[in-house]
Amino acid sequence: MLRASCPNCGAPIAFRSADLPVKVCDYCHSAVLRTGGNLQAMGTVADVPDDVSPLQLGVRGRVGARSFELIGRVRWRYADGAWNEWLAYFDDGSTGWLGESMGRYMLLRQVDPAHVQSAVVDLMRGARAVPTGTQAMIDNVEYWASDVKRVSCVASEGELPFNSLGLSAMSVDLMSADEHCASIQKAGAEDVEVFAGQYVSLADIAATGLRAFEGWPMPAFKP
Amino acid sequence: MTDEALAAPAAPPAPPPSTVKPVNCPNCGGTVDIRVAGTTVSVVCSHCGSTLDATSPDLQVIAKADSALRRPQIALGKRGALRGTTWETVGYVERSDGEVEWAEYLLFNPYEGYAFLVDDGRRFSLGRLLDRLPASHWGIGLQQGGQTFTRFGDPYPVRVTFVVGEFYWRVAVGETVEETDYVTPGTMLACEDYAGERTWTRLDMLDWGEAEAAFGIANRRRNYDRPAPHEPSPFKPKLFEAWVIGIIAAVTLFVISGMAGSQQRIASTTTDAVLDGPEKTLVIKGVVLPPGRSRVEIDAEASSLDNSWVDLDYSLTDQKTQDSIDSYGTAEFYSGTDSDGAWSEGDRRPTTDFSSIPGGTYDLVVTLSAHKWNGAGSSSSTPVSDTSLMGGHGFADGGWGASPTGGVTVPVTVTVDRGGLFGGNIILGLLLILIWPIIVLFRHLGFEKRRKAVLSSGGDDDDDSWSDD
Repeated sequence: MLRASCPNCGAPIAFRSADLPVKVCDYCHSAVLRTGGNLQAMGTVADVPDDVSPLQLGVRGRVGARSFELIGRVRWRYADGAWNEWLAYFDDGSTGWLGESMGRYMLLRQVDPAHVQSAVVDLMRGARAVPTGTQAMIDNVEYWASDVKRVSCVASEGELPFNSLGLSAMSVDLMSADEHCASIQKAGAEDVEVFAGQYVSLADIAATGLRAFEGWPMPAFKP
Repeated sequence: MTDEALAAPAAPPAPPPSTVKPVNCPNCGGTVDIRVAGTTVSVVCSHCGSTLDATSPDLQVIAKADSALRRPQIALGKRGALRGTTWETVGYVERSDGEVEWAEYLLFNPYEGYAFLVDDGRRFSLGRLLDRLPASHWGIGLQQGGQTFTRFGDPYPVRVTFVVGEFYWRVAVGETVEETDYVTPGTMLACEDYAGERTWTRLDMLDWGEAEAAFGIANRRRNYDRPAPHEPSPFKPKLFEAWVIGIIAAVTLFVISGMAGSQQRIASTTTDAVLDGPEKTLVIKGVVLPPGRSRVEIDAEASSLDNSWVDLDYSLTDQKTQDSIDSYGTAEFYSGTDSDGAWSEGDRRPTTDFSSIPGGTYDLVVTLSAHKWNGAGSSSSTPVSDTSLMGGHGFADGGWGASPTGGVTVPVTVTVDRGGLFGGNIILGLLLILIWPIIVLFRHLGFEKRRKAVLSSGGDDDDDSWSDD
């Protein structure tokens, strides 16, 4: 854990690991990039909206025997809506994303594109259109592209593995015949990034530390 | 500063935020409650009907409207618990497939996400989006959640005809999706195709009154005139019950009739009838029949008859009421030789039945008169008048022994049995037992026919509309 001060406002900020070089200052909303021991304010990111999400930074959950904490959030927008991706920091130091879209949750982990057998990867690398229904095999699970859209990052908070400021990407959602789902994204000149995992409910991940809302009974999930 | 903060009395914890955020409609200025900020994409103002873009910071008006709005039966913002989860109505859509119209409420719970409450005007179904694709089942149906679904008709267009409230997608009146239904009793899988995107919704039919109680509206009246495609037949559980009871009753009937059917001997008496002698009267007293209706079978046996016959007149008289029932039988046997050789015919042991005799004590009076047959080859010829002359009443009662004329005597044994159900009675009983199961079966088949009626009538109507065009 590296403790420092925000180069913009001087508020205390901390970096958990070298894999998470970006921290959005809780006070001035500057995106602070850490390069070795140097800190650099990259600009001010938009504040995340006060949305009706039961998730917030600090929420804990688990997958099997491993537990995680939500430490960052990126809010993505596309032509017909927006969704949140929450950075899950596992106890072993690894990370995953808890996607929150239309009241549903997907817990995804990054997959090496070499593990993907699909025309989707080549089409995206060639900046060509991906038809829905295109098949993909990711780690021996069969998927079909269900949604293709251009997305852009509109807000973020907490600790992040990348600078979300002004980020936009092509995004392909994939569905499977079981609970598996995946997402393949390509931002600018970067190579494709593949995330695969499954749909979960808040009960499945035994979420704790959820936001309370007036008049709504808070569910108590079995840990 | 720090000291002051410490010294200040602890502020009460802030109450949790509300999920409802009131904003003003940019078209009419009316207050619009946003219930799922951050996820809601479209809002249709409940005052003016304008469609607003919830993804734009200032609620841009997408479609202006100033029309009076219909109000959904369940008010938007109403909360109710369905199957253990509290849901709030946030959106309302009316849709039509061109023939049938129905309503759909979009439900929201901050921890559970979205659900749909579909109201076909009779019954409600609770829908959830599937997060996985149903598996094909032998190419003839779909498998989901351990259930097998069969396709219900062809894909058909579904059009939005009215909308109010907020949605996580862009809504518009006139928006048309292609829907394909798959059903199993109680549940439907609805597949919607729209602009290259396919969504699957699982709809579970709620019990009568379940949604009404949850959201505080009047109970719907039960009727099964126009069943929903996934409506379970209300007669099916009854059908099983009725047939199980019917079969048990039928088996019981057979067992009882088997026991009751075993005949019971009441009396057996032998007397001698004199051929062409006087009439004899035999009285069997005290034939006791149990309450209810019984069958009485009288067997007469005259095994030594040869080219002769015995007329038997029976009279069964109730000792109490003196009501009597009459019947008769004939024991006869003839034989001889003709051009074809030896021949014989006749029944030496006739059986006479009295059916459905009420319970009570009876006397059976048997009047016998034996006659010789003077057929071909027989030389003797006894005038019929002899018989009538000799058949005097004076010989009745105790006319045992030899005939005064010394004629040939024929021993006749009269046996009285009771019990033994008529086959006709058993069939009648079976019919009575099976009336209810058969009625239930026909009601079930009628329900299933009505449930599938749209499949055939839909095609016919399409043809009609083509010819009309």
